[in-house]
Amino acid sequence: MKNYSGDFTIPVSREMVWDFLMDPHKVGPCLPDLLSMDVTDKQNFRAKVRVGLGPVRGAFDLATTITIEEPGRSASMSVKGGGMGSGVDMSAKMFLEDLEDQEGTLLKWTCDVVVSGPIATIGGRLIDGQARKITEQVFENIRNALISSKDGVAVANEEAE
Amino acid sequence: MAINQCELRPMGKPIHRKEDPRFIRGQGRYVDDIVLPNMLYMSIVRSPYAHAKIKSIHTEAAYQVPGVKLILTGEDLEKLNLAWIPTMAGDVQMVLATKKVLYQYQEVAAVIAETRGAAADAAQLVEVEYEALPVVVDPFRALQPDAPVLRDDREKQSNHIWHWEAGDREKTEEIFQAAPVVVSQNVRFQRVHPSPLEPCGCIADYNKATGKLTWYVTSQAPHAHRTVLAMVSGLPEHKIHVISPDVGGGFGNKVPVYPGYVCAIVASLQLGQPVKWIETRTENIASTGFARDYHMTAEIAADESGKVLALRVKTVADHGAFDAAADPTKFPAGLFSIVTGSYDFQQAFVEVDGVYTNKAPGGVAYRCSFRVTEAAYLIERTMDVLARRLNMDPAELRLRNFIKKEQFPYQSPTGWTYDSGDYEKTFKLALEKIGYHELRKEQAEKRARGELMGIGISTFTEVVGAGPSHSFDIMGIKMFDSAEIRVHPTGKVIARLGVRHQGQGHETTFAQIIGEELGLSADDVLVEEGDTDTAPYGLGTYASRSTPTAGGAAALCARRIREKAKKIAAHLLEVGEADVSWNGEAFEVKGLPSRKVTMSEVALAAYTNLPEGMEPGLEATYYYDPPNLTFPHGAYIAVVDIDKGTGAVKVRRFLAVDDCGNVINPMIVEGQVHGGLTEGFAIAFMQDIPYDEDGNCLAPNWMDYLVPTSLDSPHWETDRTVTPSPHHPIGAKGVGESPNVGSPAAFVNAVVDALAPYGVEHIDMPIFPWKVWEILRQNGVTE
Repeated sequence: MKNYSGDFTIPVSREMVWDFLMDPHKVGPCLPDLLSMDVTDKQNFRAKVRVGLGPVRGAFDLATTITIEEPGRSASMSVKGGGMGSGVDMSAKMFLEDLEDQEGTLLKWTCDVVVSGPIATIGGRLIDGQARKITEQVFENIRNALISSKDGVAVANEEAE
Repeated sequence: MAINQCELRPMGKPIHRKEDPRFIRGQGRYVDDIVLPNMLYMSIVRSPYAHAKIKSIHTEAAYQVPGVKLILTGEDLEKLNLAWIPTMAGDVQMVLATKKVLYQYQEVAAVIAETRGAAADAAQLVEVEYEALPVVVDPFRALQPDAPVLRDDREKQSNHIWHWEAGDREKTEEIFQAAPVVVSQNVRFQRVHPSPLEPCGCIADYNKATGKLTWYVTSQAPHAHRTVLAMVSGLPEHKIHVISPDVGGGFGNKVPVYPGYVCAIVASLQLGQPVKWIETRTENIASTGFARDYHMTAEIAADESGKVLALRVKTVADHGAFDAAADPTKFPAGLFSIVTGSYDFQQAFVEVDGVYTNKAPGGVAYRCSFRVTEAAYLIERTMDVLARRLNMDPAELRLRNFIKKEQFPYQSPTGWTYDSGDYEKTFKLALEKIGYHELRKEQAEKRARGELMGIGISTFTEVVGAGPSHSFDIMGIKMFDSAEIRVHPTGKVIARLGVRHQGQGHETTFAQIIGEELGLSADDVLVEEGDTDTAPYGLGTYASRSTPTAGGAAALCARRIREKAKKIAAHLLEVGEADVSWNGEAFEVKGLPSRKVTMSEVALAAYTNLPEGMEPGLEATYYYDPPNLTFPHGAYIAVVDIDKGTGAVKVRRFLAVDDCGNVINPMIVEGQVHGGLTEGFAIAFMQDIPYDEDGNCLAPNWMDYLVPTSLDSPHWETDRTVTPSPHHPIGAKGVGESPNVGSPAAFVNAVVDALAPYGVEHIDMPIFPWKVWEILRQNGVTE
């Protein structure tokens, strides 16, 4: 099992971040190399993503379940699935905090990942770097999406004025 | 250098290898070169998990792939009573997983299709639902009482497989209690893999009309495979024809029976068509016979002068998910009890515990006769630790402790009878040839300048020639070996042997032995092996056993022919048999050397002009059961320089002095030594199969499991002494494994010697540059 963690700030309110994260239709497209997704309900969605790790290349079929731990503040997410004879089992936790100056939200996350099969063995040496890169990309995408939606809101507000 | 095959009296000469033209020109014929009409291809679905329950297997989607003929699962094999098969070590092992998987890359299903591509594609579409279970990769963790029991199929609900010991515990204990000096060292011999260039594979071809199964397989032991197949499958043994064509390297990897073999055979039996299965490199490394994986602790009791008194060894052997080790039944830890090595210990006590973990099963003796490599490495490392403790030169320590030449036959404290040896002579030749004392002076000067240079010594005693039926067997089958020689009317010979070479040069070596015994040239003798319908029963080639066993059989078989030939010669020379003598090239009349007949003349007479009443023809068969094993020995010295900036170790010189008794072809012996040293070098510096805590195999390919090229390999210097085996018909001992047994310790001893000024006593293999760099950094040598 590998553990990853990190935190970053988003210059929008905690409520906006929370609403975004709880909406599979919004979070799903933030996954890099997303091929297709299928939202079952508010807590569950399936995503097909392209994976390329060294010589191992193909598509992963992932089932994602989101569980609310404390509304507005923390949630957990489990991702299970795999492909090409490999498996992945992720269990992530997210915590939201208001920034002191009220200028945005602090998102802390931890993630336990178990990978198995060729993806873990043949691509083994590359996993750490790749996992970090993908995770950073996911949150970068979430951040960008939130900022643009905030700007969108701001623009709409300006227009209303 | 090499000489013509036509030379008479070929024994001991560097004769050109008969097999080289076809190998060099790419005209060898390996299993994957064979294409049969209507042949199907098999691909195996493997587990991504190291330990998981199998909840369901769905094959519907895979069956939709065009060309798919059959998909086998464990349930299908259960109906045939083939889901589990016996291992060579007395355990049982799954063919295709039923209920749960026990290691990553374990075989779960087999897909048979019209093309290799279709089989591989369909294998991807077999849906297996797993439920992960806790994984145990550390054998010490596996032995803890609260560890998950991996093998719930066993009566004994524990991960402990067996306990084995040799020597006298109490007497050893007594010496340790009174001894003035005791050293102790933990040593790990990492998990490595033989990695032959040609991976494992087979074609099973069952003919429903004749009821005969022809099985082409890359095998080191075709007869043993045939018998095991007959026992497991219920097919009559005379209707199983095993053909082992050219084999692209074995090194122990091609002795066991693998699940893929069983699946290919079952598929061919069901479909009545030939089924080919050739594994990928990853499948070969991750799922077939690994080697070593011994966690060892050695203690030596000695006096202040450096005389060793007693040895105590405790070992945990990680066998993976099934105990499928290729060891003779009586020796669960193989010949590991040779661990007293070349030294005269009064007492020794060795114990080994076998343990199950979630790793690939099937410990094989990779270029080593049954764990001798681990033993030699351990004793040679610990002797250096003792030398360091006593502040004594490691060469001097060894000279004080060698078994003396007059002590042979030597009874070792763990029960072996060493046949012959002159350790001091071999070692002194090595010291002199490499210039040991000058090197020590150079080292002292370099140290004064802050440079890192190390000299590593390893002297070893091998135990090879697994054959004596009183001690050795595979699944109960005694390990003798055999030869059958036919002399044709024109004096040309075909010889068939029960062993099966994988590049060792048998076609030349055995032709030399037979040519020598019959007064012919090597060119006159064609050697055939590997076809069970024609060759006499034999136990195969591994553990350096071919020359000690089949070599003995070949010589004695030829002598049997010579006895008959002598009678015919007497008839041709018109004298009594007692008046005929053999001069090495012809039969001559005693006292009248000009009156003689050659073997070719006798051969023609055997079919045309016989003494009255004699059975025509000139052929014989011999099954040779050796009285004892043979004990080759050697002295190896490595000189290394270490780069202080990077931790990279450069092997500047390496000298191997071997004593393998009488040599049949010195060029072939040298080639074997070069190959073995290169493999030993790889083990010392490059190779390991690590697993992460989830049981993922982290080096199942040649990107992560490094195979040395000619650019990596050091220049090898070789020499030899000759101490013939007293009990072998031609005094030969076997050499193929000596360099792999002896060299790892020499490399590691050299690196540790270079780093000794920093208090380093041991580094586990493989010695990657970062390990050395880390030591240097901790000591402020490098930044």
